[in-house]
Amino acid sequence: MRIRGRAVKGGVFLVLLAAPLMRAETFYVTIAGLGGEPEYEQRFEGWAKDLDKLLKQAEPNAKIATMFGAGATKSAIEAKFQEIAQQAKPDDSVIVMLIGHGSFDESDYKFNIPGPDLTGTELANLLEKIPAKHQLVVNMTSSSGASIVSLEKPGRVVITATKSGTEKNATYFARYWIEALRDPASDADKNQVISALEAFRYAEQKTAKFFETQNRLATEHALIEDTGKGDGVKAPGPDNGEGLVAGRFAVLHLGAVSAQINDPEKLKLLKHKEELEQAIDELKYKKASMDYNEYRRQLQAYLIELARTQEALDK
Amino acid sequence: MKRKAGALVSLLLAALPAAAQTADPARCAALKHHGDPQTAQCYQQLTRSGDPGIAAKGYWGLRDYQRANDLFRAAVKAHDKDPYLRVRWGRMYLEHWQPGDASDLFREALELKKDYAPALLGLALVAADGFEGKAAELAQQALKSDPKLVEAQELLARVALEDNNPEKAASEANKALAISPEALDAMSVLAAIDWLDDKRTTPWLDRILRINPHYGEVYATAGHFFVLNRRYDEGILAYRKALQLKPDLWSARSELGINLMRLGDETEARQQLEECWRNGYQSTSTKNSLTLLDSYKNFVTYRTPTAILRLHKKEAELLRPYVESEMQRALATYERKYKFKLNGPVELEVYPDHEDFAVRTMGMPGLGALGVTFVATQAFTEGERGAKFTASVAMDSPSARPPGQFHWDSTMWHELSHVYVLAMTNSRVPRWFTEGLAVYEETANGNPDWGDRLDPEAINAIKNHKLLPIAELDRGFIHPTYPAQVVVSYFQGGKICDFIAQRWGYGKLLAMIEDFKNLTPTVEVIQKEFNLKPEEFDKQFLAWLEDSTKVTVNGFEEWKKQLLEVSKAAKQKDWDKVIQLGTPIRDVYSDYVEAGSVYEFLSDAYLAKNDKAGAMKQLARYADVGGRDPVLLKKLSDLETEAGDKRAAARTLERLDWIYLKDEEAHRKLGQLDLDLKNYEGAVREWGAALAAGTVDPAGAHYERAVALNALHRSAEAKDEVLSALEAAPDYKPAQKLLLQLSDKE
Repeated sequence: MRIRGRAVKGGVFLVLLAAPLMRAETFYVTIAGLGGEPEYEQRFEGWAKDLDKLLKQAEPNAKIATMFGAGATKSAIEAKFQEIAQQAKPDDSVIVMLIGHGSFDESDYKFNIPGPDLTGTELANLLEKIPAKHQLVVNMTSSSGASIVSLEKPGRVVITATKSGTEKNATYFARYWIEALRDPASDADKNQVISALEAFRYAEQKTAKFFETQNRLATEHALIEDTGKGDGVKAPGPDNGEGLVAGRFAVLHLGAVSAQINDPEKLKLLKHKEELEQAIDELKYKKASMDYNEYRRQLQAYLIELARTQEALDK
Repeated sequence: MKRKAGALVSLLLAALPAAAQTADPARCAALKHHGDPQTAQCYQQLTRSGDPGIAAKGYWGLRDYQRANDLFRAAVKAHDKDPYLRVRWGRMYLEHWQPGDASDLFREALELKKDYAPALLGLALVAADGFEGKAAELAQQALKSDPKLVEAQELLARVALEDNNPEKAASEANKALAISPEALDAMSVLAAIDWLDDKRTTPWLDRILRINPHYGEVYATAGHFFVLNRRYDEGILAYRKALQLKPDLWSARSELGINLMRLGDETEARQQLEECWRNGYQSTSTKNSLTLLDSYKNFVTYRTPTAILRLHKKEAELLRPYVESEMQRALATYERKYKFKLNGPVELEVYPDHEDFAVRTMGMPGLGALGVTFVATQAFTEGERGAKFTASVAMDSPSARPPGQFHWDSTMWHELSHVYVLAMTNSRVPRWFTEGLAVYEETANGNPDWGDRLDPEAINAIKNHKLLPIAELDRGFIHPTYPAQVVVSYFQGGKICDFIAQRWGYGKLLAMIEDFKNLTPTVEVIQKEFNLKPEEFDKQFLAWLEDSTKVTVNGFEEWKKQLLEVSKAAKQKDWDKVIQLGTPIRDVYSDYVEAGSVYEFLSDAYLAKNDKAGAMKQLARYADVGGRDPVLLKKLSDLETEAGDKRAAARTLERLDWIYLKDEEAHRKLGQLDLDLKNYEGAVREWGAALAAGTVDPAGAHYERAVALNALHRSAEAKDEVLSALEAAPDYKPAQKLLLQLSDKE
């Protein structure tokens, strides 16, 4: 899935992907809840620290908050969200990642933290107060599937480690979500940006493989929801309408992004490039109904043209 | 069929005419024994008996198992202290492929009457069906209780012949004939001994047919022994003859179908099995075989002049490059080693679902098989002239078992050794030798880390003197008397071949193949080749084995205690203690590479102390002695890469290819290492495997494969791959550059 520039406006001011000057702020909030047992305490805290380190290295300009152990209380979380609500602007992004145990009492999801738990509804209310339009919640706890109903909202991407509140076993999804952000292979379209959709696909596939290779029955089934009205799906795509927002949601940038372009000649090339990309997308859409050789012939022509255009742009 | 309560049985019985109640089950059994055409009528009469126990026997004789079951239930209810009724009911269950229910009834009968011979016999028959070692013991107990119980005596003859002990089998059969001169199954065993010995005629056949001209069971018995001795083509001919004598001998027809399937004649196999099914013979093996035949539509077949590869569609693309190349390498190696050229291609079937593979071994001795080989060197359809070479190997796929628990390439080499040895000897080879040689070959072709390690069961067997004399080793494979005996027998067979090769040279093993081909028994082969009596051979072998395993065998108990301490220290993260305790015991039992091995603890300890070189050293030892856990092998490869030894890192991941193939990450890593090392053929394969294993990064894998293909000057394929990369990621700059480079070349 290709990430389109978030600040592209009417072709007047084109950027390649998200240029640093134009890139809005991203707020990362990672919270590791109660482990209950030393093994889980250690594991959850370790994952939170891993994420913290990774994000600070990859996104040095981002606002990164990581909470775990005794510091991850409800009041501390509320305070952090209030702080972000004051700082964030509508074009900014907020990424919330929850690690630990969750539960479901048949009415609402609860994130197990020191002191009173945080419910799904309470978390949704906190997010509601943040003006940033781009919001991603990655709930990697057990029973996290039950949080979709309170968290989903048009424009917000919700990812859960489990498909329902009844998947209560400690989850492994977080391990592979972190791996997705660390492994450049998760950048499936090679645009140097790991989108929420790419990271989800990577982590979902790796988690499923983990159970498969251990010859164990899978006790978690990750879901993604970004339409604001669905139950969440395992395989987002055109057939279920899921994944469109997540595909455009940048979670992590892998390399240096291109600088702003003002040269009129290059702007022309850039426009041509966008047209070619669109033509390729349309051709791929028609693939199933086309003769395979004809499809490959047309694809090759477009791809060569695109490569030459990129070559000219890079000069 | 389950044990269900009969409906309206008592009403039915009350309505029966009194005249019918005088029917005699013993008369019916005698008629059946003599193949008398009046048999069915006799059983029909029994069904009209007012005694539900007798009527049940009538319906059973007519194969109306459901009604017989209802009546047996009613009879047992009416006479709940009668052990005999329970035994008869149990025997019916045994005939109806329900050994568990049969056993329950035999045990109930024994509770009613201690040492009740027919019940002991019933349990012996159940055990014999499952090739359990206690079959003979139970039969002997039955005979002790009733010395005239001819069936028990006949069973002893059968078990002895299954153990490849024809002298003992003949002796037991003659004892049965002394009890009853009309002991047809004893005579069938004697006939089978003659036929197994390649005698064209046997006096026992005439004797049997004079008693019962329709006794197809004599040929079915021969079929059983031919198949047990891997002489499948002769088994099929025997089953055909059984059916000529007795067309409704459904057990023989089912076996015919199953063995035709084993030798690849799927059309006739299906016909025979479906005929069984239509006629009510719906045994588990019949049903499962038909299901397996149906599943073949999910397989794809690849052919070369020497090999036919049948792989499941869902993993064919991933497995094919590895399995095909290894199969060719193994066939070429064996052709050279055995100095023998096969007369046709070998078929290899690889099953991702272990249950499908298990159908291939149903009714065969030895539990938990990983592979099985079927070879025929003769025609198996009457009237066909000349030899017909058929060789088929079926095995578990690398994906059928948890990663690290199955070395698929070892298994394949093991089975392909069988193909040669069976073909060379026309399947006239004792089980201990062909299995032993196959085990030996697993590690004898430049892969010492393949094959099985010295396991705790084998250590116990050596320590407690449980290894069998060479003359009786077949018994350990067929009728194990303790749970691990089959595995121990494989180990022993392999070690014997190892011993022979070391002391007298590999040529002696080839000479033994020639001896066995000429039907020379093991005892004579040992005398001829080594000028030793078998007892002396055993003595020398055991001395050699004990000498080579003494450190482990003597230190095993202490090693177990110390390993526990190492494990405790690791749990407490006391890494110095792990190193202090683990290092001295590691080599006491160096073959132990299962979960929780000393190597693993030591490498964890060194890593915790940030001594990567130390950790790498431990893991390298682990890999060298045959450690197979993909997680540990990948860890080793990462450490080697980090240390700059890419060649070692690649070698480590290559080991994993012969163990587990579905790890896309391992393929990606090896693909990258191969590219770095300019091993472009390897890179093409590994990146292809990453794609086939469902990589998380298809664009990257297509691109790297294109790079390797380009380096091999396979431009058209490279272009195809780079287009696939860009199809997934049109803005992928390195791929764009390669596409332009390839297009400009055209």
